[in-house]
Amino acid sequence: MSNNIMTAPRTRRAANILAVIAILWSVIPLAWMLLTAFKPQSAIRTSTPDLSFAPTLVNFQNLFSGGNSIGPFIVNSVIVSIVSTLIAVGLGVVGGYGLCHWKSRGKKDVAFWIISTRMAPIAAVIVPLFVMFRQVGLIDNLLGLIIAYLTFNLPFAIWLMSAFFAEVPPSLQEAAQIDGCTKWQAFRMVVVPTTVPGIIATSVLCLVFSWNDYAFASSFAGPSSQTLPMTAGSLITQTGVDWGQLCAVGLITVLPMIIVGLAVRKHLATGLSMGAVTGE
Amino acid sequence: MPEKLVVGTLGSRVPTTGQARRKRRGPSFELRMMLPALLVLALITVVPFLMLIAMSFAKVRLLGGVSLSVNGLENWANVLTDAATWHSWGVTLEFFVLAVGMEMIVGTVLALILNSLRRGQSVAFSLVLLPMFLAPITVGLLGNFLLDPTIGLYAWVMQSLHLVGPGQSVLGSQSTAMLAVATLDMWEWAPLVALIVLAGLTSVSPSVLEAASVDGAGYLRTLFSIVIPTILPVLLVALLVRSMDAVRYYDIVHITTGGGPANSTWVISLQLNEKIQATSIDGVTTLIGQSAVIGITMLAFTVIIANLFVRVLDRRGLTR
Repeated sequence: MSNNIMTAPRTRRAANILAVIAILWSVIPLAWMLLTAFKPQSAIRTSTPDLSFAPTLVNFQNLFSGGNSIGPFIVNSVIVSIVSTLIAVGLGVVGGYGLCHWKSRGKKDVAFWIISTRMAPIAAVIVPLFVMFRQVGLIDNLLGLIIAYLTFNLPFAIWLMSAFFAEVPPSLQEAAQIDGCTKWQAFRMVVVPTTVPGIIATSVLCLVFSWNDYAFASSFAGPSSQTLPMTAGSLITQTGVDWGQLCAVGLITVLPMIIVGLAVRKHLATGLSMGAVTGE
Repeated sequence: MPEKLVVGTLGSRVPTTGQARRKRRGPSFELRMMLPALLVLALITVVPFLMLIAMSFAKVRLLGGVSLSVNGLENWANVLTDAATWHSWGVTLEFFVLAVGMEMIVGTVLALILNSLRRGQSVAFSLVLLPMFLAPITVGLLGNFLLDPTIGLYAWVMQSLHLVGPGQSVLGSQSTAMLAVATLDMWEWAPLVALIVLAGLTSVSPSVLEAASVDGAGYLRTLFSIVIPTILPVLLVALLVRSMDAVRYYDIVHITTGGGPANSTWVISLQLNEKIQATSIDGVTTLIGQSAVIGITMLAFTVIIANLFVRVLDRRGLTR
């Protein structure tokens, strides 16, 4: 970093201390969730925080045993997120390239339509989808959830891929066409391979959005299509919340997302700002 | 428009040279690329949108197949004259200002802190970003747990510091519930603002900073007269991204306070959700039409934000 604003040693030390505080602010709740997941019930329900406990796997065992095992819910979450991501990114890569290079007066309107679709409040989208899904039997159906997730993942994928394609120098595609490729061949064999990091980043973000959804799932899913965030949500409404199990579910839900999310950290700024900002 | 042909051409990759294609009439290559995605998008968004508008002017029956019977402006009149609607918009506005305001400030401060680290920036940054990957519902649940007045870690800290009385619940008292809910949202999303701002900070010219330092400008002076003005467009992007999400998600409020105490955190999505819930109970006389009206007003808000967003991008030449 060459453009540091703080250069004096004293301010630098202050920055280090502030950085530690910032990290603690972000990490303590997560660390507490991690610890609690491995605590026995007796060590959780204490009025002063208990750090000297014997770690146990009992919370995880409870989650995976008996008729209420969360195993099937994990499978549901995985299927719904991955299928919805694959469809969104598949259509988004092709469509995003079209949007990026499309020259037409209508382009601005189409772009606006796509972005406002992505920004639509989930609660507002639920109303018509609920009625339509009821009509065609997509309530408590994995396909219903996949379609629901497409409503935010598809516009996101088109928009973001368009931003990633805009970074590819046009000369690359032109060179391929001079060499005898059709536009489609140039796209498939030259442009797409150079955008693989962008495609992966888009996929990861689509995956995170659908994996973390609670609003759609709690409206459309039922016993046979329950997802992980719903499991967490349903554990709290019962009397006497089992915080150990809840933390364990939270941990199982977040760990895969942290792993895939940090793997594409370089592109997170671009992705989460909808391509408005280019990262590092 | 020959959709089938389009899909077929793409699928089988019939070789057509660029020039031959250009002479032919019909949709351009780019439009044909977009068509499959746009058709699917239209199917899953335009159809529901039209449905939403239709339902807002109708009485909706769900039992024995969906049926609409037009009732004119009744739903609109009911919703717009309902004090609860205006109360929940007021609460939404309060949440919006509080949460987005805190996210912008804390996020910018986080970015400035991280930007000034000489070593370990990457690791520190990754750690600060972690809350962003949590499901909002998990954030709400963690909030419930940490702020639980008898067993919560943060409740214990605050009680030890005498910030709150013993046994007093931050989420359960009317004066602090909104602040607590907004803080939970801020905890999760300030890192996102930091992420965007940090990307903007790399564009601050080192030579200008050096010149400022030579001229004897202090830290705050440099910050407010050079750094902030430079990253203003990026701050605007962060503000818009957070604005749309602040209305989009409601998981945290739903699971922590459920709108209470005394409706002090009853945001507009909860108001909408309640109408749907009431519908699923009786199934016949429905409030779905009213929830559609609320949905449309929320969409109107979205359209304004999206409009601003596209304009900002346009000015920066990013929508090309």
